[in-house]
Amino acid sequence: MTTGVEFLPCIVAFCCVHSAYQAADAAGRMRIPYPENIIMVHIPCAGRVDTLHILRAFENGADGVVILACHEGACHHILGNIRAKERVERANALLREIGVDGRRVEMRTCAPNDGSRFARVCHELEEKIKELGPSPLRKHA
Amino acid sequence: MIIAERKPLEDIKQMIAQYKKILLVGCGTCVTVCWAGGEKEVGILASQLRLAFRRDGGELETLEATVERQCEKEMVEELKDKIQQVEAVLSLGCGAGVQTIADRFEETPVYPALNTKFVGMPEREGLWIENCGACGDCFLDRTGGICPIVRCAKGLLNGPCGGTNKGKCEVDPEKDCAWTLIYRRLEKQGRLDLMRKYYPPRNFQAVVRPGKIEAQRV
Amino acid sequence: MDEVKIGVFICNCGDTISKSVDLLDIRARLEKLADVALVSIGHDLCSPQAQQAIRKDIIDNGINRVVIAACSPQLYGDALANLVEKAGLNRHLLSVANIREQCSWVHPDKDKATKKAMVQIRMAVDKVRLQDVVEQAEVEVYKDVLVIGGGIVGMEVAIELSNLNLRTTLIEKEANLGGRLKQFAALYPLQVTPEEMLTSRLKQVTGSENIDALTSAGLKDLSGEVGNFTAKIRKGNEEISRNFGAIILATGYETLFLDKVYGFELGDNIITQSQLEGMLKSPGEIKKIPQSVGFVFDICDEHSRISTPSTLRNALVIKERFGSEVYVLCRNLQVDGAGLEKLYQDVRNKGVIFFKFERFPKVLRENGKINIQVEDLSMAREQVMLSCDLLVVEEKVVPHQDFATLESMLNIGLGPRDFYQEDNVHLYPTSSTKSGIFFAGNCHQDLDLGRALTDASNAASEAYQLISSGKMRVEVERVVVDPDKCALCLTCLRFCPHDAIRIDYEKKTAHILDLACQGCGICAAVCPAKAIKFKDWSDDQILAELEVV
Ligand SMILES: Cc1cc2nc3c(=O)[nH]c(=O)nc-3n(C[C@H](O)[C@H](O)[C@H](O)COP(=O)(O)OP(=O)(O)OC[C@H]3O[C@@H](n4cnc5c(N)ncnc54)[C@H](O)[C@@H]3O)c2cc1C
Ligand code: SF4
Ligand code: SF4
Ligand code: SF4
Ligand code: SF4
Repeated sequence: MTTGVEFLPCIVAFCCVHSAYQAADAAGRMRIPYPENIIMVHIPCAGRVDTLHILRAFENGADGVVILACHEGACHHILGNIRAKERVERANALLREIGVDGRRVEMRTCAPNDGSRFARVCHELEEKIKELGPSPLRKHA
Repeated sequence: MIIAERKPLEDIKQMIAQYKKILLVGCGTCVTVCWAGGEKEVGILASQLRLAFRRDGGELETLEATVERQCEKEMVEELKDKIQQVEAVLSLGCGAGVQTIADRFEETPVYPALNTKFVGMPEREGLWIENCGACGDCFLDRTGGICPIVRCAKGLLNGPCGGTNKGKCEVDPEKDCAWTLIYRRLEKQGRLDLMRKYYPPRNFQAVVRPGKIEAQRV
Repeated sequence: MDEVKIGVFICNCGDTISKSVDLLDIRARLEKLADVALVSIGHDLCSPQAQQAIRKDIIDNGINRVVIAACSPQLYGDALANLVEKAGLNRHLLSVANIREQCSWVHPDKDKATKKAMVQIRMAVDKVRLQDVVEQAEVEVYKDVLVIGGGIVGMEVAIELSNLNLRTTLIEKEANLGGRLKQFAALYPLQVTPEEMLTSRLKQVTGSENIDALTSAGLKDLSGEVGNFTAKIRKGNEEISRNFGAIILATGYETLFLDKVYGFELGDNIITQSQLEGMLKSPGEIKKIPQSVGFVFDICDEHSRISTPSTLRNALVIKERFGSEVYVLCRNLQVDGAGLEKLYQDVRNKGVIFFKFERFPKVLRENGKINIQVEDLSMAREQVMLSCDLLVVEEKVVPHQDFATLESMLNIGLGPRDFYQEDNVHLYPTSSTKSGIFFAGNCHQDLDLGRALTDASNAASEAYQLISSGKMRVEVERVVVDPDKCALCLTCLRFCPHDAIRIDYEKKTAHILDLACQGCGICAAVCPAKAIKFKDWSDDQILAELEVV
């Protein structure tokens, strides 16, 4: 990984269809660019994401994972975002047990019409993961 | 129901450090219900272990299986093919499950991934409370169905002690005083006379280990 | 299973997509993927001609799974599913890659955009490969509606539904219909009196064949799900069992005096708005006409929509009937309701004096008088001393006390202020957490009358849309439990936010009610036995998508 090329983080973003997915569409309509190396996984509700999905993303080589959900109190499925937060906390804890910075998994919220926030969050995530560097969990070359 | 919880990763890692390929076996009964060793947890632990090995510069290969009841010889039989492919087994069953696999597949080392904690019940989703110590001589007839052996911090048969404080226990003020609960329950049932009886200490040494029960033919 | 043959149809969207994504390169790479039988690039896939062509391609090439790479499925998702269905495939055997909004429009660099589009389409291919068929069915549902609470709002709901030709059973626990409105002396800014308003509604309720109004009645038990609820209703000593397709709650509110907030207690000359309403309603109770009356409000709840209109209304009634000096003290007036601005002007013109404060005024009882010391903000921050014969205080509006029982009987969640779900933007305005149960009026928000009546119409029309055809379309076993794996742990039951899961003790398995399930997938994520499969978002599919990482 130390070949001198700039580190391009790979981030998996689970996007709830009631919030972030629509916000990403809004960003599109407004032509607000954001990093293209964010892999967006479309999900029906943030609460669908299983801890296993997060771990698997790291096994496959992700440098960071984020669940993008509705704002608190505004979940279409009432508690889906709270559930997602619990999973993020669990994944953080499991990663810490391995000796990996738990900050690599995060939960963010976003309103469905807030395209600029979506783009901003993507930039922030990329910055953060860049700071943390490549995941030590990537497959050995 | 048997309540268990996962061991710290560090402990598990040490047990299996020398292996390259293991089988993780869940149990589909008690430990599924208490979220410690069902198919879901098997998947999560397998993934976490693979990552942990990779983090330490190694690589671990895992197979996964979950059997209906790990404490049944017949039911662990289905693991045969998979066990032949691995160096060791990591069981996510309770202690009974671990031993059943170990007995059936004597050539293969079997390790416990869980700590078997107690007999208990769910208070709400994700929270389990110990409510029976399997003492072997159930006392509940005299206590309105509330077990003093495990729910009283001191296991008193003639409670409450002087430390009961507004219904809470002096040992742990977060917990209800079992004997206050017993009093209230018996009061509701008009059976307070039971509180006045003295119960002699019980001889736990008389309990023979391992316990053994042979039922009459059904 | 038959051989999987995936057809990928890529749209260049009048060149907006192909401008920043190299579609030819993508096609070449897609053609090498396993199971991909056809890759085609078309113009404007949303056009009828293009859809005709896709249909033909699907049929001619024996395609059995479809990926469409185009604009957001939020736009044409349904139409595309229809298209797939018309080509003879199950509508779920489609996966859409959003390469316009989420790719070409936001990634100007062609190489990068092409790379990302390829990732997106590959994910769609990997997902659709594992997609299960989900059939749709039509289920017969009851067309009757149960309305709980016979206040003005409940009556309005019943009348609207009756006009739409749906039968309703309206249950009211008191002996008479009408609710809180019965107690009001006037309805300013409306020119009708509460009596007139209620009488006209009552006439419609009793005159309608579609409405069965049961007074002194309550709900005893509820079972079933949307389309097919069974309610046990108690009326006097009788118990009636009826089936309903939908339920609308219109149980209204109660008011509470919060002495902790005010720091004083009620008495002869400090009374609540409700007590004042009672006095104004039966003037015999007023022994001595108060020469001066003060009102304080905006203390208990800054979001209340009711404090301002009720204070203004009663201030005006007092002024008109008794000609007393009237002072109104508050932090803020909320005159955003219909006619309120004008009511405020009228009240001022009649000589009512307003004081705005930041800090709550000091209230002292002295010789049968109430002395109020207030720092007035509208003037030069002067300390003003007022003396009144009567002080009227605002109460907190809280949900009806029967709420807790109803909530557990119906198994619906409460919102943050303990009202039924009130400010969740996705559920607003009238849906509950549970399919087929709606709210109307003041049981889920403190609304002024005008808004409460609008709310009643909304709830009525939502219920109408849901069940009026007597049939509901439902996705069959889109989320399904494998009985062999289910450990009966009850986890899913405890986590489902829409009360859509039951335990079938005979078959020894959890069971998902297709009509009630709203497809969040929470159950599938929490099941410790991995016994639940969400066919559109299965673990296998999500994990396959993650393989692109
Ligand atoms: C102090 C105050 C002043 C107000 N002043 C104004 C004003 O000036 N202008 C304005 O526009 N609006 C005002 N409002 C608002 C207005 O009163 C309401 O919008 C309207 O009355 C709401 O009607 P409702 O039918 O929702 O509730 P309610 O009138 O409370 O009716 C609910 C009915 O449901 C019944 N019920 C409750 N639980 C059950 C059960 N479990 N089973 C069966 N029946 C049940 C109750 O007995 C009651 O009859 C005021 C509100 C308050 C609190
Ligand atoms: S091994 Fe037996 S006792 Fe242990 S958890 Fe499984 S079913 Fe329960
Ligand atoms: S007395 Fe308590 S510990 Fe003993 S068997 Fe009964 S419940 Fe279990
Ligand atoms: S969570 Fe899974 S195992 Fe538990 S009851 Fe539901 S379906 Fe059965
Ligand atoms: S997907 Fe599961 S948790 Fe969500 S509504 Fe349906 S049954 Fe309930």
